[in-house]
Amino acid sequence: MMRPRWRKVFSDLLDNKLRTLLVVISIAVGVLSIGVIAGTYVIISEDMSVSYAAHQPANIELRTDNFDEDFLATIRNTPDIAQADGRRVVNLRVRRVGSNQWVTLDLVAMDASEVDHLNRLDPISGATVPERREVILERNAFDDLKAAIGEELEFELTDGSRKTLKVAGIVQDPTTSAGDFLAPPLAYIRMETLDDLHQPRLFNRLYATVSRGQDNDDEIREIAAQLRDRIEKGDHVVIRTRLSKTNEHPMASTVNAILGILGALGVLIVFLSSSLIANTLNALLNQHLRHIGVMKLVGGRSQQILAMYLALILSFGLLALAISAPLGGQGAYALSAFIAGKMGFTLLGYRIVPIAFIIQATVALVVPIVSGILPVINGSRISVQKAFSGDMPSGEKRREHAKPADTAPRSRPRFFLPRPLLISLRNTFRRKRRLVLTLFTLTMGGAIFIAVFNVRVTLHDYIGQIGKYFLADVTLDFDRPYRLSEVEQAAMKVPGVVEVEGWAFISAEILFPDGMPADNLNILAPPADSALVAPVGLKGRWVHANDEKALAVSEALLDKFPDLQPGDNISLKIDGKEEAWQVVGIFKFTGREGVLAYAPYEYISRRTNLANRAYSFHVLTTDHSRKNQDSMAEDLDKYFRQEGFHIREARAGLSRMDTAAESLDILVTFLLVMALLTAVVGSMGLTGTMGMNVLERTREIGIMRAIGANDFEIIRTVIIEGMVIGIISWFLGALLSFPFTVMLSTIVSLAIFYTPIDLVFTPSGFFIWLGLVIVLSVVASALPARNAARLTIREVLAYE
Amino acid sequence: MPSNRKIEPISSGPAPLAEKTAPSPILIEIHNVVKVYSSAAGDFTALKGINAQVGTGEFLGIIGKSGAGKSTLLNMITGVDHLTSGEVIAHVGGKTVSVHAMSENNLALWRGLNFGIVYQSFQLLPMLTLVDNILFPMDLCGLYRRRASRERAMELLRLVELEEHARKLPNFISGGQQQRVAIARALANDPPVIVADEPTGSLDSATADTIFQVFEHLVENGKTIIMVTHDNSLAPRFSRRLYLADGEMAAT
Repeated sequence: MMRPRWRKVFSDLLDNKLRTLLVVISIAVGVLSIGVIAGTYVIISEDMSVSYAAHQPANIELRTDNFDEDFLATIRNTPDIAQADGRRVVNLRVRRVGSNQWVTLDLVAMDASEVDHLNRLDPISGATVPERREVILERNAFDDLKAAIGEELEFELTDGSRKTLKVAGIVQDPTTSAGDFLAPPLAYIRMETLDDLHQPRLFNRLYATVSRGQDNDDEIREIAAQLRDRIEKGDHVVIRTRLSKTNEHPMASTVNAILGILGALGVLIVFLSSSLIANTLNALLNQHLRHIGVMKLVGGRSQQILAMYLALILSFGLLALAISAPLGGQGAYALSAFIAGKMGFTLLGYRIVPIAFIIQATVALVVPIVSGILPVINGSRISVQKAFSGDMPSGEKRREHAKPADTAPRSRPRFFLPRPLLISLRNTFRRKRRLVLTLFTLTMGGAIFIAVFNVRVTLHDYIGQIGKYFLADVTLDFDRPYRLSEVEQAAMKVPGVVEVEGWAFISAEILFPDGMPADNLNILAPPADSALVAPVGLKGRWVHANDEKALAVSEALLDKFPDLQPGDNISLKIDGKEEAWQVVGIFKFTGREGVLAYAPYEYISRRTNLANRAYSFHVLTTDHSRKNQDSMAEDLDKYFRQEGFHIREARAGLSRMDTAAESLDILVTFLLVMALLTAVVGSMGLTGTMGMNVLERTREIGIMRAIGANDFEIIRTVIIEGMVIGIISWFLGALLSFPFTVMLSTIVSLAIFYTPIDLVFTPSGFFIWLGLVIVLSVVASALPARNAARLTIREVLAYE
Repeated sequence: MPSNRKIEPISSGPAPLAEKTAPSPILIEIHNVVKVYSSAAGDFTALKGINAQVGTGEFLGIIGKSGAGKSTLLNMITGVDHLTSGEVIAHVGGKTVSVHAMSENNLALWRGLNFGIVYQSFQLLPMLTLVDNILFPMDLCGLYRRRASRERAMELLRLVELEEHARKLPNFISGGQQQRVAIARALANDPPVIVADEPTGSLDSATADTIFQVFEHLVENGKTIIMVTHDNSLAPRFSRRLYLADGEMAAT
């Protein structure tokens, strides 16, 4: 049999279901978001790297010229190399037989015996080891092609001929292009199939693991340098190097940073809900003053009353935990699965994350106690007389007696405001502590909401800035070099084409002064007076036509060489040879894809023996919309093919930008969800506040009705009060959104672009929040207002 | 401490209290008690140096008009409110205590054990059943074991003839019945003193008479009762009367 005191706690919990629901939901929202983020953080940090390591990722990936099995055998004997595999990667166009939709992919040829060596594949369906004339599609390639297992795919070979291969299976490759969003989709064949594709049975990629320091950047770099030397001594050329740790996914730091931001927002939601809890408990204690008085009257001591209300608060917390713990577990796994899908790794399976549950339990039980302890202590210590007279325990006393000054005749107001509006305005500021807590919650919610909109525009603006480096509407890549004039003449015959530029390209490695490789470098070479690049310069100048061994580099190089200035020389390794190049300028660009540099076409084309010729052409058209770009790419592809050009790919200029923007939109959506959660907590706070305000003024409402106020006037008084609070919070939130935007944009841009970006503010966030906060205020006030209007005069005057 | 006396049913009828004139030991001494309420409008002296004594087994009536200071004096006796000056000394439970020298916490327990308080507005907890309302003081003061508490609560409900309503909530019974529950609750810890502030003020005359009979029965069974009323017609039913007017003792 339950003791009366606990029966009272139980009744308090159940009697006012709306209040209990409000408090429980406000705790649960914070606990849920914290649980989802904490669970995801743990699952991702464990599974991302474990899954990555389980697929035997190569520590060193070298792009080389062709080498054979014998040379590979010598590589395998290199000291500190644990395993080495050779593969051949060919970039080809492919389509389903009978389809017009071409997809460019990297076809990876490997020995059947090597499938289980390095960069292991996860089977999704069908075979994992292709037979001759069969192809296995990586999941992304499958998504692009939508080809079924057993279907024939048509490959366009470098000599223009076509060959069909049968789809034998679908796999996921968690390692080969991990963290490279712009890498083409992959497909896999066996070495023998290369004969059918008119390719030599030679390797051009070397994948190797190291036998020591598999998780040490310096050791891997050192071993890679030794390996490269050995390859170059064997008269082979290393074009590009990519290094990875075994037990750390290349995207781990980015994902963790993003989860960190979401986690910080989760903590903020908990913080906001705690102010809501404090407000509600204050009001609850206020309503329970008479009960406390009775308990003290019949022998109840402070500690007994304290224990009862702490038990009530703990019950709120336990109920919130009961809702949010299972949802948090499911949510964490769903979010992890979503991230894993985007990042291309597999999860180890659904599980309960103990630490996430412990965090949830701690937050659910401790935060309400911490937020409620002060009102509860004050309430439990109140004297019987004060309890019966309804004196606030928190020091926020009711004005029972007018101050002498208040009894003086009031001067006429300088401007006219309707009396009901004056009452609403006065009511707004009556409970100052409650008002401050409500304003705090709504203001924070609004500030984050507005900031997220600003961050979204800032990120898109940055993507737009990056787009200034890719102004071409269509990029044409050919399998062989063509004369500039030849391509230009042909392209200009296609309606809508305005300008054509031939661009050159070389890859290099940047070396530290000690000769160790610092990073890969892609050197793009547009004509010096190109109209298709509009760089955002930071220091120095852009490239000139007569520049030789000179380049403008992206700011990402400053990470490796912080003191780099225009005019300085850097060491580059190009085609196996070390050279000194002069940096003439530094421009703004994301560090996400490594270091980018520009050199003049005039010099690079001569250097690569391709003067007046190019593999890649950038086309400007009259209409820059994505739709037109897609259609122009298709028209140009068709036209050049008809004219006998060996075109590999015609790509819309915005296609890569759009891919990047889509990835950002996912992040912004997450941020917006968190912002909406804060707004929900804020509006619940307002609902609670309005409910309490109305409840406490029941007698006053009765008097208003007794002297002639109708339903409309009472409802209007309450709703205007709610709107005044909402609008004040909007002003404060709008102000606070500026520092929030700076903070959030900086963290997000550093995590994603590895560089701080220029802030952009948009009025849309401010206006949407204004509309939303007004709607929320009206909705939050409507229910208490309706309840107030429903009361009869007898009921309200009998209240208390 | 609780007496082991059996609770006698009310139907046994009240004894003629006026005949109880034998001197009784002093239970409560009130020395020069002053109570001043301060507000923005100025100070208001509700009690102006009251001196009085309450004897064991008395049925003391404090009579006066509205605003005379009756309830304030009662609050001084029970320690519900703080006095401005003076002293209230209680000789209950075998101990002598200065009521206002105790901390709020000690006062709560002491009051729970030694005073049963009945208000005009009943002050029952609306979320608890009648039996739970009576069990509540026993639960808080921890004087009885759980089973004994329950038996005692039912016995008290039987005393006020509400046993069959034990599981009802206060809102489902009449005002007179609620007041009888409040009396039963006041008796829960078997305190020597019952204090009642206008207990019949919101009841019809027949119900009020029933409540009065309950009090008379309790006095007959050894309880000391201090009751505040503005109704001078009840004066003959008290064993002794104190008249208050404007915060001062009055002759009649």
